[in-house]
Amino acid sequence: MSDSDKQEHEAAELVRPYVITGGRHLPGEGQFSLITLVTAAADHQQRPARLSPEEQEVLRMCVGGYLSVAEIAGHMQLPVGVVKILLAALSEGGYLISRPPEQRAPVANLQILEEVLNGLRAKFG
Amino acid sequence: MTPYIQNPVLWVLLVLTLLAAALVVRQRRAARGLRQEIAGLKNHYGELETHYSQSVREAQQEAEAETRTALKSAMRTLQGLAAEQQRIISGLQRKYGDAVMLQDLLEIDHMNAQFGRRAQSIAVLCEGWLGRHRDVASVYDVVRSAQGRIRHFQRVQILSKVDFGLTSRAVEPVALALAELLDNATSYSSPDTVVEINVRTVPKGVCIVVDDAGVGMNEEEKARAEKLLTSERASGVSGLGNPPQFGFAVIGVLCERFGFTVSVDSTSPYGGVRAVVLLPDELLTDMPTPQEPQEPVAVVQESRERTPVVDTVAVAHETGPDPSLPQPTTDDGLPRRRRKRPMALVSNSGPSAPPAPRRRSEDTAAIMAAFKQGTDKGRATHPDGERSSGTGDASSEGHEVS
Repeated sequence: MSDSDKQEHEAAELVRPYVITGGRHLPGEGQFSLITLVTAAADHQQRPARLSPEEQEVLRMCVGGYLSVAEIAGHMQLPVGVVKILLAALSEGGYLISRPPEQRAPVANLQILEEVLNGLRAKFG
Repeated sequence: MTPYIQNPVLWVLLVLTLLAAALVVRQRRAARGLRQEIAGLKNHYGELETHYSQSVREAQQEAEAETRTALKSAMRTLQGLAAEQQRIISGLQRKYGDAVMLQDLLEIDHMNAQFGRRAQSIAVLCEGWLGRHRDVASVYDVVRSAQGRIRHFQRVQILSKVDFGLTSRAVEPVALALAELLDNATSYSSPDTVVEINVRTVPKGVCIVVDDAGVGMNEEEKARAEKLLTSERASGVSGLGNPPQFGFAVIGVLCERFGFTVSVDSTSPYGGVRAVVLLPDELLTDMPTPQEPQEPVAVVQESRERTPVVDTVAVAHETGPDPSLPQPTTDDGLPRRRRKRPMALVSNSGPSAPPAPRRRSEDTAAIMAAFKQGTDKGRATHPDGERSSGTGDASSEGHEVS
């Protein structure tokens, strides 16, 4: 990160991120995580003209396969949160389908496992 | 006869007449002298008056020039600070991209942009610095940049766009002028109305039409605006009225300096003002980023030529598709899955060496850092290694590409 701060004598981006998001707010915490997978909805293969170039870019990236939110953010070179806002808007518009990451399997109770192990050892070991 | 000669009265009369004649002659002479003196004095007075008004004008001009110089340098400092702050905010946005704080950072960014615009406007009136050099940008992006510089940018809607870019010289002035127009449009219309922007191609170039649903302008205001936009413009910051109205004066100066025109004399379909910015062909150029990748070879050459002017984001986007698109068949955009491209890239990067240095190492570092942060976070929430590392591998491949 500190490297990128060294770009002293360059103008910042012409279009600021808050314009790209249209002033929308961050989506809810649970809606998109970095490893949420998204893909373009099948019935929206043709890109609607009213979307901003960034939204179209996201859609184009997502056509034909699942991509993670982190990956999209990396390609877009935009802050992750900004990408999430875009994704939320596109999902709302029905252009994108998101698949939440699989839930973690509940961690088995260590104590029970130990007891079982001990029992097995007592019986067979 | 003789008795009359003897008459002393006659002599007295004669003497009197002579005296009177002499007196008249003398008076005449004196009057002439006085008249000449008066004329001389008048001339002198006139000269004095001219001198006086001249010196007053000179003093005024000098004072104005001094004000201008002082303001110019003050604004330059402010502009520099705003630009620096903007870069810092950009860095923070990347750094804390996934935090809730981003929302606040975006707002600070917005405030900073407005602040920068104000300083820029005053600088323009004082014939000062317009801002850092910009790369060629699409008209659409310039419009959005202008949108970002006003307070109520959410009320602005861009309804149509054209496939043109603006030359780097014109990007900043057009964005600033348009921002002033949008500021007027949003300030003089009710907060629940929308300001519409339509971009159209016309024979003389490209038109940006701004329609608001405000109260419009009366004839007097229109005349004043027209005056500011065309010839008689207040010099410097004097004559802007109280409270000072910068908008049209700034636009007028920009129009004159950069050769585009703005007119505000028509009425919008919603009863407000319709402002039209006409960008002549001299200011227009091709789109900076080819949206649809054409024949790969052509694209590579093109992007190589344009390396100095294309903005870095665009370059980064180009580098991805260019070398790895041997078939022109993928019409609608890029290959289906970006992360499968590294293989192609490796074999291709030999011959097409130049694309490699186009991304600066800082960028790469930033991206990798962001990516690492992302994967770390993923691992942190899902410590059962396999899945997240799988995602990580796929992503890292993708990142190396672009």
